[in-house]
Amino acid sequence: MLTVKILGSGCANCRKLEAVAREAATAAGVQAEFVKVTAMQDIMAYDLLSTPGLVIGDKLVSSGRIPTQAEVRQWLAAAPG
Amino acid sequence: MDFALHLLSGGAGNLAAYLAAHVLLCLLPAFFIAGALAALIPKPAITRWLGRSTAVHVSYPAAAAAGSLLAVCSCTIVPLFAGIYRKGAGLGPAITFLFFAPAGNILALAYTGSILGAEFALARFVLCLLFGIGIGLLMALLFARDDQRHDAQTDVLFATQARIGPAAVGVLLALVALLIAGTLRLWPLTATLGGVTLPLPWAEAWQAALFRWVPFDAAKGEEGVSVQGALLIALLLLIGVSAWKGLENIVEGGNRFTALALGLAAATLLVASLRFGVESAGLRIELTGRSVAVGLALWAALQQARRLELDDARAWLWESWRFSKQIFPLLVAGVFVVGVIRLLIQPEWIQTLAGRNDLQGNAVAVLFGVFMYFPTLVEVPVARMFLDLGMHPGPLLAYLMADPELSLQSMLMVAAVIGRSKTFAYVGLVALFSMVAGLLYGAWVDGIGWQALSLGLAAFAAVLAVALAWLNRRRLAALPGH
Repeated sequence: MLTVKILGSGCANCRKLEAVAREAATAAGVQAEFVKVTAMQDIMAYDLLSTPGLVIGDKLVSSGRIPTQAEVRQWLAAAPG
Repeated sequence: MDFALHLLSGGAGNLAAYLAAHVLLCLLPAFFIAGALAALIPKPAITRWLGRSTAVHVSYPAAAAAGSLLAVCSCTIVPLFAGIYRKGAGLGPAITFLFFAPAGNILALAYTGSILGAEFALARFVLCLLFGIGIGLLMALLFARDDQRHDAQTDVLFATQARIGPAAVGVLLALVALLIAGTLRLWPLTATLGGVTLPLPWAEAWQAALFRWVPFDAAKGEEGVSVQGALLIALLLLIGVSAWKGLENIVEGGNRFTALALGLAAATLLVASLRFGVESAGLRIELTGRSVAVGLALWAALQQARRLELDDARAWLWESWRFSKQIFPLLVAGVFVVGVIRLLIQPEWIQTLAGRNDLQGNAVAVLFGVFMYFPTLVEVPVARMFLDLGMHPGPLLAYLMADPELSLQSMLMVAAVIGRSKTFAYVGLVALFSMVAGLLYGAWVDGIGWQALSLGLAAFAAVLAVALAWLNRRRLAALPGH
């Protein structure tokens, strides 16, 4: 199953990003496991300069902004597995 | 019971006076500017100067610029701080960034300026910039050896290049013009261009009722709620409701409420720029130079915003709304509590502890700043309260420098990223530099000249240099092979 990670300490943007990603996955009919990554050490393992970050299938697809549902759906479709 | 009511009315009065008065003309544009900075400035435009191969004279100013332009909330501050430290320019610029961000960002500057005066905002900005770079350099020197053990990674994170689009620059300039037009207290902005008297005979009774509900003491510098203020508070509530419906899902597209919320925001600024007076004949409304300037700036902002790409415009509105949603409730609660506490503090206490610009006053102010934690920007109304109660401006600036830099939250964050010994050194340096900043600014306010002031600064720098040289020699001596 596809793993979707939300990187961020729990600020407003991270919650918004999670909502957008969940809706996109539901709309696209993709089964995905959602993981929230809140520890700074784990977030810094990815190359990003500001949260929220979105990781799909262990690839960082966006950071520092909230993507639209359409964008997330494209990334979900492009992710392997 | 009476006493509790008295306290509550103190809080409500403080809050209403804040919301009603000129504060709106500063805060509303500042939230939109903060949103524009967060959404429209591509971070690589600044972070590319923060890579590890960058020269010192570039990376420190760039770190300060990042602090002031990119970092309005912890979402950016924490990862960028860790990133600069571990994968980029190193400890020094990371510390400069961390120190400057809470004082140098647009919300803090605009808010300080409108509550405490432009001179205070300028002093806070300049001293935080100078001392932020100073503390960064000192930390880099103190921990020079540790700093060379960077992660063995390329600085690909900081290598991306980007430019700020012309439409984004246009929007930012127009918004800054709006902020200046709304807050500056200079002719021709204060000039009266004309006016009408609306035949509303109940206006006078209404004003009297408002003053009765929210009692105030002009001798203490308090402001009551005017008819205009009540109108502004009502508009603000309407903005809140329509923004909730129109901006919460702006990333997916706007709706009717989006336009309504933005229209109401513009209307609020225009109403706030008018001058209202209550006469026996009715309500007198005067057009000021400020109204014209605010109108022009709003028009310019609209023209520039139309040139933005749709995604950018939506991201801008979302970030502005998010900042408002996150910070405004905190400010409202904070200002209310400050109004209550103010009635409990005797002015003599403050005057005894920090009424003069001496070592004791500045030390007390810094200690208070370290041990108290106020949410974002609430330190500003707290400072206003202290100023009204008789605190000297010098210690007040020391408090304003120490409080946001040394909150528990920021200390924990620093400790998690750079370790405990460096955090202790950082806290010590900030406390020391804040006291010096307070002493310098206090001396300036007391009327000391430029020469004596720069002499004092030079003496402080010399003492620091000697201390550093001594530390460095001791460390070299401790190294094997020396």
